[in-house]
Amino acid sequence: MELSQVNWEFIIPIVAPIILIQLILLAIAIIDLVRIEKVNGPKWVWIIVILFVNIVGPILYFVIGRRNN
Amino acid sequence: MNQWLTLLNKEILEMTRNFKWIWVPIVFILIAVMEPITAYYMPQIIDSLGNLPDGAVIELPMPSAEEVLVASLSQYNTLGLLVIILSSMGIIAGERKTGVAGLILVKPVSYTAFVTAKWAGDMLLLWISYFIGYFVSWYYVGILFDTIPFIDFIQSFFIYGLWLSFVLTITVFFNSFLKSPGAAGFLSFAAVIILIVISGTFSKWVEWSPAQLLSYASTFIMSGSNSSDVWSAIILSVFGIIMLLGGSIVIFRRRELA
Repeated sequence: MELSQVNWEFIIPIVAPIILIQLILLAIAIIDLVRIEKVNGPKWVWIIVILFVNIVGPILYFVIGRRNN
Repeated sequence: MNQWLTLLNKEILEMTRNFKWIWVPIVFILIAVMEPITAYYMPQIIDSLGNLPDGAVIELPMPSAEEVLVASLSQYNTLGLLVIILSSMGIIAGERKTGVAGLILVKPVSYTAFVTAKWAGDMLLLWISYFIGYFVSWYYVGILFDTIPFIDFIQSFFIYGLWLSFVLTITVFFNSFLKSPGAAGFLSFAAVIILIVISGTFSKWVEWSPAQLLSYASTFIMSGSNSSDVWSAIILSVFGIIMLLGGSIVIFRRRELA
């Protein structure tokens, strides 16, 4: 099946809310990472992890990265 | 009581600052919702990904609405448990490490209030996130498959929620005497896995095991009725939660004075 044949009108209303909350999670993690002073490990690594590791990246950041000692 | 509410408020405030009120519910939603969506689109996913030779036909039986909702719950039994343990593994151990616990406990705060307020705060977070996530999953199953009676949904919600609470209490228990959040998380996870494996292997003999609550919730969704064994599991879970919580208060008091 080609991509153009996929029935997008039918898929979007169902999948869009999921993508949206995933983006919210990602955005909050990034905003917090920018504003926070110190994280566990270098900041740029966390940016990559949050952006490129789907769902699990932001969780890892909140659980491990944000730990303030 | 007043003091307890202050501690609970502090707990809730801290969870807001940690963004726990945002990420835990979102993750619970994502975990549960993936199941109905992938089940629904599975034929199309296979069509668009697989290089199947011409003429190859894969007949996938469409799962029933009940099966999909049960699959959502099973997701909670792996990823959900992991999230619960990860989000609560530093609940006391972390504060002890940073010295916050010491700061609070030099004041005339009872150890019971300290531990139970922490436990209650995390229970609140857990039940709210779990409800939102499971509800969204139920809603999606309703849209994509078939409506499942709300009463079945809510009953399976409470039956399975008890097991999640049990897991949370295990984490609190390990927190009461360990210094490192990682060790507490690891030990809780090990304990939970052992419980699940034992209950799975010897399911005939341990019908009362709290880990069996998943299968009771599943049979409830599938058939709408339950065996009487479910009550033994429910009672034992509540009893276990109380015992673990009591135990963690006692141990915590000893450890802190020593």
